[in-house]
Amino acid sequence: MASTACFVIVSKNDIPIYEAEVGSAPKREDQAYQHQFILHAALDVVQDLAWATNTMFLKSVDRFDDLVVSVYVTAGHTRFMLLHDSRSEDGIKSFFQEVHELYIKIFLNPLYLPGSRITSSHFDTKVRALARKYL
Amino acid sequence: MGREVAESCVDGVVMQMVAAYCGGFYAAKPELAARRIEAIGFQVGHQLTERYTMERPRFSDHLEAIKFICKDFWSELFKKQIDNLKTNHRGTFVLQDNHFRWLTRVSVDPSVESMDATENDSTTLGDSAAQTTSMLLYFPCGIIRGALTNLGISCSVTADMSNLPACSFVVRIKT
Repeated sequence: MASTACFVIVSKNDIPIYEAEVGSAPKREDQAYQHQFILHAALDVVQDLAWATNTMFLKSVDRFDDLVVSVYVTAGHTRFMLLHDSRSEDGIKSFFQEVHELYIKIFLNPLYLPGSRITSSHFDTKVRALARKYL
Repeated sequence: MGREVAESCVDGVVMQMVAAYCGGFYAAKPELAARRIEAIGFQVGHQLTERYTMERPRFSDHLEAIKFICKDFWSELFKKQIDNLKTNHRGTFVLQDNHFRWLTRVSVDPSVESMDATENDSTTLGDSAAQTTSMLLYFPCGIIRGALTNLGISCSVTADMSNLPACSFVVRIKT
């Protein structure tokens, strides 16, 4: 179980469409901002790595102190980014795959504008449940 | 993700969409109807690629994405692969389907529709049938363009239906 983790979904136009602090550590405002800075800084690394490989799961693309960034890039170039300190790569990959399925269900909704913020509380509940299960 | 829809329902929806836009909403403006139908196809294609690429690695070049459209994407939508893919290696691809599923039930023989047709009426009905068929093709053109746009390829798509039920889609990639 990761003691600290932040999960962000970034659309192909570099707009964050979903953010969640997941993990068992108590919530702290200043740390939430720092987590987002770290993830956004890692976007440049992802941009380069995305061309070098065609796998969807990019593990440990960036590092900050004892925190690691893992990323999952879809064919449409949506990026799932996770900031974590656990070592369970299989769990992280499974988490990404399950969230990808949830994301596709949102994406196929004809009333959802691709690239807009995901505001579904059902989606949020499910993502947090998956985080508790896999991370 | 495993739910299915009866194919006859999809056929009916596509036909009704064309009928609604050509005969109803934009009866006097076929160009606007065509653009509207293509836009609907664009959204459908945009969303379907997100779903069908879920299990496979990402594409590293345009040809891989086009081949995905010809094989996996086409199999999901039309239960068969594209029969022929040609390219001039300068950004133009021709996808030929020798038995396009959505055209196999389209009748272009005006005498079947009106046994009382005079020669002039037959000509009119023939033109009308050809126009309806071309309107039907704006939807798959939009699907292909939406799919490729979601994969990062800007393009324009046109259809050639001179040899029914075979159909060719010409994809021109914008650079």
